[in-house]
Amino acid sequence: MLQASQVHFCIRQRPIVDEVSLMLNPGEILAVLGPNGAGKSTFFKILSGEIKCKHGSIDYNGHDIQKLKAHELAAVRAVMPQHTQVNFPFTVQEVVELGLISTKVKQPAKLIQEVLDATNTAHLKEQVFNHLSGGEKQRVQLARVLVQIWETKPFPRYLLLDEPTSSLDIAQQHAVLKILTILKSRNIGILVILHELNLAAQYADKIALLKNGVIAKFGAVEEVLEEKILEYVFDHPIHLIQNPVTGGMLISAAAQNHTSTPSFKQA
Amino acid sequence: MITALNHTKTDKQNLTLLGFGFVLILVVLASLSLGAFSIPFPHTLAILLDQIGIQLGTFEVQQSNVLLQIRFPRVLMAILVGGGLGIAGAALQGMFRNPLVEPGLIGVSSGAALFAVVFMVLVPVASSLAWIKPIGLPLFAFIGGLINVLAVYKLSKSQGRTDAATLILAGVAINALAGALIGLVLFFADDSALRSFTFWSLGDLGGATWSKIPVTLVLIIAPSILLLLNSKQLNALALGEQEAFHMGVNVQQVKLRLLICGALIVGVGVSMAGMIGFVGLVVPHLIRILFGADHRLVLPGSFLLGAILLNFADLIARVIVIPAEMPIGVITALIGAPFFIWLIFNLNKSQY
Repeated sequence: MLQASQVHFCIRQRPIVDEVSLMLNPGEILAVLGPNGAGKSTFFKILSGEIKCKHGSIDYNGHDIQKLKAHELAAVRAVMPQHTQVNFPFTVQEVVELGLISTKVKQPAKLIQEVLDATNTAHLKEQVFNHLSGGEKQRVQLARVLVQIWETKPFPRYLLLDEPTSSLDIAQQHAVLKILTILKSRNIGILVILHELNLAAQYADKIALLKNGVIAKFGAVEEVLEEKILEYVFDHPIHLIQNPVTGGMLISAAAQNHTSTPSFKQA
Repeated sequence: MITALNHTKTDKQNLTLLGFGFVLILVVLASLSLGAFSIPFPHTLAILLDQIGIQLGTFEVQQSNVLLQIRFPRVLMAILVGGGLGIAGAALQGMFRNPLVEPGLIGVSSGAALFAVVFMVLVPVASSLAWIKPIGLPLFAFIGGLINVLAVYKLSKSQGRTDAATLILAGVAINALAGALIGLVLFFADDSALRSFTFWSLGDLGGATWSKIPVTLVLIIAPSILLLLNSKQLNALALGEQEAFHMGVNVQQVKLRLLICGALIVGVGVSMAGMIGFVGLVVPHLIRILFGADHRLVLPGSFLLGAILLNFADLIARVIVIPAEMPIGVITALIGAPFFIWLIFNLNKSQY
């Protein structure tokens, strides 16, 4: 279990992340949603170990993150940042291999082939990473991150993703999230920051809503997705509609009128 | 299938390195034979084989003396300094994640030169402290190089990312400062010191003697090996420092190791052979263009190609104006500067 307890982070006395507690079980997808400036990225960096929280604690499978060395941490969690630039002409194969840099695995070649297949990037193997399209780059990075925790281990692993779909078209967005659902069966817990509410509604098991550094609501998808709470968090009129085709939930944000009354109906 | 692929890749890398080694041997043999005092090639071979106890053909004692006492240490020095500049350049480019980084450009060389000049003025040849010179000069140069590279690194880093423009600007500023301080030191030096400084600053392998080889060998080979052991980490750093940390690399420790090794190699090289520009820039680039960016090949390849290039440049420097010698820095700059200009032109177009 990945557990964050009362995580707190201030910059110049102003709390960016304020007493945030949540937990992530293996086999779950937890989506973290919130408006810009809610503290999502800071919280994400604290979870990944990049920055230390002022107080509060992060535990990976019961181990305090402060006590884990970089390579020990890398064995239990992988991180996919929003953008990764590669400044030298590495091939896709070389980029993905890097994911294994600090772990000793029995069959590296097999693992790499499996993640390349899972991310549908095997055909790009020999190509230079920088020549790929945005969607391809993102999938290759996902493969690189996945291979780090792909091997079956006696303990659960975790994957943290910061807006993995931000620069992708609709098909690519769903392709990436579909890959995440495969991971659930591999004893991996997934925490993903998303901007698109509908993607979260469709793929996540749990949602955490963050506003001004505070958790506004945390729970199963159907508990969290309510018009009132969403309107409060995003400061914008929001309607929940039943999707006539799939029966699932559709989140619709209406154009904001000047009085910003939530009763404004969408045409 | 991938195993096979990996095997062919490693095989290809090994083959490439082997090829470089072969070319290096050829250049070394040519370098030993040619010069103001030309030694026929069969005689060169005979002298070398004689050293390991194989009698093959005849040669004159004078030939043997020139080859073993003058040319051989010089060739060894060119291998060490050229190889060192190549591998240090490759490692620093990898660490800064910037293909424009060159020991001369970011101030390592000028810092080393400044401290070397200060050391020369503080410890004159005739002083009672002269015994400290063989080890003191390279170490002093190392400290100067390290101070400058740390300063440039700190200056160029903002919000965890090194910005190329700031990096170059910081290098220019640090170089200017070091240059001014060198000028200040030289202001108080006498004419003979000035003349020798001028030659030394352009790079000069003529001072290479057997007595300098052991120190140079240890202080360049040891950090080079340490760099080679970090080639995987350098690959990870190419994705970014955060990403490298996510993948389990102890980033701060690795960076410190790279900076110290790079500064040590360049410092020793500068103290032994002066400021030899462009080797550290051109060599890693050629390797990347030809064989890709994997540091497991780029680092050893840069060492070998750097050694080849500097020996070649030294050979030209010695034969082009017989019986005089051209400063080697002139030759490397003549090769390197046009390449650098080409690089700047192509940088915007390419994937960097």
